[in-house]
Amino acid sequence: MGVLERHNVHLSGSGRAMVFVHGFGCDQNMWRLVAPHFAKSHQVVLLDLVGSGNSDLSAYDKQKYASLRGHARDMCEVLAVLGISNAVFVGHSVSAMIGLLAGLQCPDRIGAQVMVGPSPSYINDGDYFGGFDRSDIEQLLETLEANYLGWSSNMAPVIMGAPQQPELAQELTNSFCRTDPEIARHFARVTFLSDHRADLPNCRAPTLILQCSEDIIAPLAVGEYMKRHIPNSTLKVIKNVGHCPHLSSPSASVDAIESFLHGA
Amino acid sequence: MDPSDPPGLEQLFEHAPCGHLVADASGRLLLVNATLCEWLGYDKHELLAAGGFADLLSIGGRIFHQTHIVPLLRMQGSVAEVKLDLRRKNGTLLPVIVNARELDWKGATFLHVAIFVVEDRHRYERELLLQRQRAEQLAAENARGQQELDAERHRAEERAVFAEKLVGMVSHDIRNPLSVIQMSTVLLERSGLSAMQRQVVDRVSRAVKRVHHLVGDLLDFTQAKLGRGLQVASEEVDLHRSVADSIADLQVANPGREIRHVQRGAQTCVADVNRILQAVGNLASNAIAHGAADRPITVVTESASQEFRISVHNHGPVIPAQQIPHLFEPMVRGADADAEGGVGLGLFIVREIVERHHGSIHVDSTQQGGTTFVVTIPCHPPAGNR
Repeated sequence: MGVLERHNVHLSGSGRAMVFVHGFGCDQNMWRLVAPHFAKSHQVVLLDLVGSGNSDLSAYDKQKYASLRGHARDMCEVLAVLGISNAVFVGHSVSAMIGLLAGLQCPDRIGAQVMVGPSPSYINDGDYFGGFDRSDIEQLLETLEANYLGWSSNMAPVIMGAPQQPELAQELTNSFCRTDPEIARHFARVTFLSDHRADLPNCRAPTLILQCSEDIIAPLAVGEYMKRHIPNSTLKVIKNVGHCPHLSSPSASVDAIESFLHGA
Repeated sequence: MDPSDPPGLEQLFEHAPCGHLVADASGRLLLVNATLCEWLGYDKHELLAAGGFADLLSIGGRIFHQTHIVPLLRMQGSVAEVKLDLRRKNGTLLPVIVNARELDWKGATFLHVAIFVVEDRHRYERELLLQRQRAEQLAAENARGQQELDAERHRAEERAVFAEKLVGMVSHDIRNPLSVIQMSTVLLERSGLSAMQRQVVDRVSRAVKRVHHLVGDLLDFTQAKLGRGLQVASEEVDLHRSVADSIADLQVANPGREIRHVQRGAQTCVADVNRILQAVGNLASNAIAHGAADRPITVVTESASQEFRISVHNHGPVIPAQQIPHLFEPMVRGADADAEGGVGLGLFIVREIVERHHGSIHVDSTQQGGTTFVVTIPCHPPAGNR
């Protein structure tokens, strides 16, 4: 299986490349309200991380992905196969850090970073406020486990109709946020126990930190911490409750990214 | 009760057999029903003031809410059968199943959540999870055990091959100087020796033959016990005749003893003739060594239906009954073991040869009847298994 199939890569538009990468939990469909806007002026690259969405689950090697650097290497591979340089890397949540690490691995291919709800470390550590304790992460793993009891079997839960979104095909229901329970557990651990604070100062690309006003996963203090430690960075806080501004405040997200692109 | 006057919708909502909550787009609670308040131990106004739906969840549950439920709601408008823990006012957790749907109403988006308590199902699922973890642990332990076994077997095989090679090499290296000694005794015999010198040379020559024999036994033992089994190459042969020839040779080599051969029936068999003669030789040597010196030794070859039987009989001391079960084990020697007894591999090798021919061996030892070893092998062993 080739690199592009492995990541279920979808391309649209033309111009400077923008790579959109989803965070922990779901897949590239998360960008459905944002990516089409940029396809008018850019080449939009959508992909799934290995272990998520419709990626090649058999390629999930626990050793390779024991650190976010394994995913970062994948990102550089995808860009190399597509022959892309100077891309804008738009990463949500954990993928913001994956993008930063990829930028360190293949700096020529990534010219700018857009970090949506990023956090270099989720666990509180001395003066550093990440928002969580280890026991919270254990609770998350338990919740994941409890839900995969039903989700891992063939009996996908019956989805109540979504008449306002008839374009949503039946086979897609819930699959956005479903993957092999083993992988989900492993990825959750790697994501929420990772600590890349030390890598922040090495990021040289112009960076937009897009933070939400109320987000328990990436609190404001974390955004400010990143702003202080990434040399060429801008912090933009948009009014949004929750961790997914690209879904709940898509136009504010688009505006913030657009003004960053024009300023950068 | 008047059937034409059922409870109103308000009543049905408040006391529905499931919890209901309605929140605005940011998750802030707008409506909660009495059932939910009762389950969580809050007054209605307390619960509405508690904040948002996510605030009812554990911290881990909130991460799950943000990373799974919110995106799904946004993308497909609803979620169903999500398992969560809600926090009661007293801090304890209430396991629930949640169905939720986004509702567009007059230009605004609302979230409607229906909540079902699942304490029994929760306990059952915990049990299932525990059992699965236990099963996974057992499987892992099994796999580890199997790996250790495999590694141990591999090491044992390596040791066996090494031992076989070592003994093979040593035997080969011993045989070469032995041959030199043997040839030298032949040359010495031709050079006109005194009677005493001749006796010495004879002794050397006999000793060399015995060492030859011992080296052969050692090689066979190593193959059979440590290596890949005794090597046997079978073909169609007349065993009666081969045994008769070998008994005649044995008689010549032992002029002081009477060794008879009796043949019953006539039939060719598929066997490794050299191995069979080796077995007969070992049995006959034992008979010569342990049997009464003044009585004959009788070797009978008998072919009937599909079997070939060889018996070796001698008179003399009885083999004690308690020794018989151990007779064929390596390094076991008779009570009267002497210098001629070898290293105790003879009968072990006989049994190995017999087993490689899919046969059996029995021994019978009485004061009157004497001692008889009986070897029985099938004349045509199962094909492909020779």
